[in-house]
Amino acid sequence: MITEILDTISGAIREPRLADLILADMHLYAVLPRLEELARLDEEAGAIARELDMTLEFLVRGGPRVVLTFADGKVTSYRMGRANTGLFFLSCDLLNRMFAGEDVTPIPFKGITRVGQLKKFTRLTEIMTRYLKPSDADMEDAAFRKSHVEMSLMVGLSASGVVADRDPRARRLVDDLRDGTIQYKILPDGPNAYVRIEKGVIRAFNGIVKDPTACIEIRDVDLAVGLIAGEVDTFAANGSGDVKASGDLAMADEFNGMFDRVGLYLE
Amino acid sequence: MSLYKFNKSNEMFQRATAVIPSGISGNKNPAFAVPGSFPYFAERGEGCRYWDVDGNEYIDYLCGYGPIILGHNHPAVDEAARKQQAMGSAFNHPTVRSVELAERLVSMVPVAEWVAIGRNGSDVTAYAVQVAREHTQRRKIIMAKGAYHGSQSWCRHGIGGLIEADYEHVLQFDFNDATQLSDLVKQHEGDVATVILTPYHHPAFGDQVMPAPGFMEEVRRICDENGIVFIIDDVRAGFRLDMGGSNEYFGYKPDMICFCKGMANGYCVSAACGHMESKNAASRVFFTGTYYTNAVEIAAAMACLDELENTKAIDKMMKTGTLLQEGLRERAGAHGLQVSVTGPPTLPFMTFANESNFLRSQMFSGEAARRGVILHPHHNWFMMAAHEESDVMKTIEVADRCFAIVKKQFGD
Repeated sequence: MITEILDTISGAIREPRLADLILADMHLYAVLPRLEELARLDEEAGAIARELDMTLEFLVRGGPRVVLTFADGKVTSYRMGRANTGLFFLSCDLLNRMFAGEDVTPIPFKGITRVGQLKKFTRLTEIMTRYLKPSDADMEDAAFRKSHVEMSLMVGLSASGVVADRDPRARRLVDDLRDGTIQYKILPDGPNAYVRIEKGVIRAFNGIVKDPTACIEIRDVDLAVGLIAGEVDTFAANGSGDVKASGDLAMADEFNGMFDRVGLYLE
Repeated sequence: MSLYKFNKSNEMFQRATAVIPSGISGNKNPAFAVPGSFPYFAERGEGCRYWDVDGNEYIDYLCGYGPIILGHNHPAVDEAARKQQAMGSAFNHPTVRSVELAERLVSMVPVAEWVAIGRNGSDVTAYAVQVAREHTQRRKIIMAKGAYHGSQSWCRHGIGGLIEADYEHVLQFDFNDATQLSDLVKQHEGDVATVILTPYHHPAFGDQVMPAPGFMEEVRRICDENGIVFIIDDVRAGFRLDMGGSNEYFGYKPDMICFCKGMANGYCVSAACGHMESKNAASRVFFTGTYYTNAVEIAAAMACLDELENTKAIDKMMKTGTLLQEGLRERAGAHGLQVSVTGPPTLPFMTFANESNFLRSQMFSGEAARRGVILHPHHNWFMMAAHEESDVMKTIEVADRCFAIVKKQFGD
């Protein structure tokens, strides 16, 4: 117990390791914002989101900050703004350990009376974990697989923006990327998402963009599951026609390297 | 005509993916052309044509990405290789062929006062920058953004397998922007070993760009004033513009030059050449590879260079390349399409002027391949001496049909 307390204190005092900082950024800027999709994709999550009415701030010492707004059943995330409820983490490492499923208790610094709402929020995160780290039993269900792909795709694309900001090797890739959009389509009917790259900044969006600079079409959800799990050779899938790439293939290929960088942290 | 199918290519690719990472590695992976509308595996070649594993016949404007400069299976080059093969090729020592090739290049290439022989372009570009570092005792390498100098760690695109230290001393500037170059040299004063450029800018996924008036002369001046070694990577364009090196075509003088493609008509030989001032430094850089002294390839290179000179092959390629460039411009215009035909006639390339995502190029190239002409959508093309005017005219006929398809699909 004393060792754990000392670990926590020392983690709070020292500067975060770059890897911890990047992972914390990913958790707050790429994973948590996916509650937006979760509320739409999952019935229970949608019901909980409709019951919630708060603005919840995650604040990490020496690390990222995000504000989640729950209103009218919708979840929106901002990097700025005021919140009526707040959770403080002494270090990036502590935040990351909580996301890894360890028993970490953040320090509530605002809205302490909203314990009930926070419990519901905790349930939301459990549901999200189910979609991002699914069990074999869950993956038996075709509709679940599709939702898993949508959530994972958006996490991956959003997290690319995070690694592009901080990871030196990802930075090299971004420096070579020209401005434009890359569309990802899962055939035959989605999910679809795209990234917009503008002066080295990467932002992810759901849906279809007009006239993308490059377009990646994936044969079906099951192949997308394999790609997300890193079990499919993308070049081989491209040659066989399972993945169809068109447009600026150099840009798409360079961007593909971002997923590898994201995977290194999120694993 | 019935359009080509690629069933055996696809079958072969499936086999390949089981045992070879990506099925086909590097730039020859189908992902970089038009998957489904391009052949994946070749069977045989003759002159300016080759056949894929499905038996489809193509007029070849990619030339193995450059090395086929005379034509597939050229009799004089193959005969020289066969003669040497009968005597043996891989020995404990080099053969006299190595000395003969070095002497040949020294007599032919003004920059060359010494020659080091390798196998691939990457061998000699990597060696050249090491020689520059050794000669100057400095660290920094300056290259143009988007330029390709091989697959070695210092210049490879992407990040796969690389660590930051691999490229921390490599700086980049926009081709033709001498001010940017000058600023970089000032920022790293006393630490720049070399400026390495291609003789003109020929990036993949982009139009080819000729040196702006005075640019190369300014590079020369900056290098001279700062004691920097000026290297020309002529691996891709070498012997398609001038037998003395492509810089001679443009009229400027580097300190070192690298050759490979076009040197031996498909046999793997490359060479780094330099001035006498850097010869001692070149000796101090350990340069070797298992096959660097193999005599068959070097004999083939000698025969190829002879053939290129004796038949005035560059003149012929200039003529057929010009015919192709003019024909493409004219046919595209007839369909109301705007194209950008760039590069010298012997290394032409075409993109569609009103797009930045290559969709028209990919459709054009895919349809051309399915009609028997290989015109890559993203990489510059190559002329070879075996192209006759009749081949070019047939190509323009095919291009005309492909332009019509693009027009129908995209409208302009």
